[in-house]
Amino acid sequence: MSKVIQWIHDDLLRVTSDIPAIYVFDEEKLRSESWSLKRIGFIYECLLELPVIIQKGDPVAEVAQFAHNHGANTIRIARTPDPRLQSQAHQLARQFTIDLWAPEPFVNLSNPVDLRRFSRYWQKASRALGLDTRDRT
Amino acid sequence: MAASNQLRRDFQDRDEMRQHLMEQFPDAAEVDSRLSPIPGGRGAAESRLNQFRALQYAGSRNFLDGEVSGLSPYTRYSVLTIAEVQEFVAGKFGLYRVYKFVQELAWRDYWQRLYFQLGEGIWQDREKNKTGIDASCYSAAMPDDIVHGQTGLACMDAFTNGLTANGYLHNHARMWFAAYVIHWRRVRWQAGARWFLQHLVDGDPASNNLSWQWVASTFSSKPYFFNRENLERYTNGKYCEQCPRRNACPFNAGYETLAAELFSPARSCGSKYEPSHTHE
Repeated sequence: MSKVIQWIHDDLLRVTSDIPAIYVFDEEKLRSESWSLKRIGFIYECLLELPVIIQKGDPVAEVAQFAHNHGANTIRIARTPDPRLQSQAHQLARQFTIDLWAPEPFVNLSNPVDLRRFSRYWQKASRALGLDTRDRT
Repeated sequence: MAASNQLRRDFQDRDEMRQHLMEQFPDAAEVDSRLSPIPGGRGAAESRLNQFRALQYAGSRNFLDGEVSGLSPYTRYSVLTIAEVQEFVAGKFGLYRVYKFVQELAWRDYWQRLYFQLGEGIWQDREKNKTGIDASCYSAAMPDDIVHGQTGLACMDAFTNGLTANGYLHNHARMWFAAYVIHWRRVRWQAGARWFLQHLVDGDPASNNLSWQWVASTFSSKPYFFNRENLERYTNGKYCEQCPRRNACPFNAGYETLAAELFSPARSCGSKYEPSHTHE
């Protein structure tokens, strides 16, 4: 049986089921981007509503340690476009199985979607959402 | 299993939490040690969603006191997903009656999809700008008077103070502010975008940077700018009335005049907008 923990990050501050969960404030990132306390405070208040261990430091090291402590070999991570989070997930993938997941999307679009301008995207998205622009007056 | 880096969860009140965060994150406290009045958490998000009068959104959203959802801090972290928001408002009011709002939710989806494609490229110009001014003419740093809210322009200084105190700005204010920074002050959009991300509780590199690029015209076919009439209308004149520079306002002209001044190829690299250069 594989044991699983979940790593909660900024692109999805919510937990799934009762799997042990950890959030790590990435100190190096916050320092290099000069975050003000407001941003940290807002995230913190979101975390206080969740059953999650809150830490600070290097996310890769802290998440790996947390997984080891729980005897887990799988880490559940929400899909993210953030390159820094992606690279950290890649590093964790050297030691652990990564279970990548995503919540229900806003709209399901068949690939490829032309993203050069919003109007091209919206043409497809509005139809998929059930909003036919021609019907609007 | 309590590691030394583990942070506290047991607070009597918000101020106690803030004290803890100030100790744990001294660098952030030095940037600005205030908390946003916007509370975090799913509970707060749901109550905000319940209060949102989505039918008034389309007609009033461009006014600073108009009906906007205020949900961006929550959707940014998917505390509440835009799919959930869409489903809720469509179910409550009817999909077609909240068309404009759903379209604005779609902008976030669009930006996130682009972010997946671009990665770190989110910090680079998507396209060449259309201002007629060479990219090298824009300064790399935010001017001190803007960051400290000391431009003397009541509107811009209020936006700076609102951003740093609340971690939030109305979308129209973000656009005016970005246009002022980029076009009037000739600052690279990246400098403004980075500064916004230090403070915005809904700070997201995709929505933020691509909106700055839209204003800059590196992600649109023409630069976005505004004039006093436009700002005065959507703010109900509340800044202009008491502005120390109300009789010397750099925004007080027609669009053609402003465009000629701001984007003239004849305007050399060195001739930035100077506070003394004003419209009576």
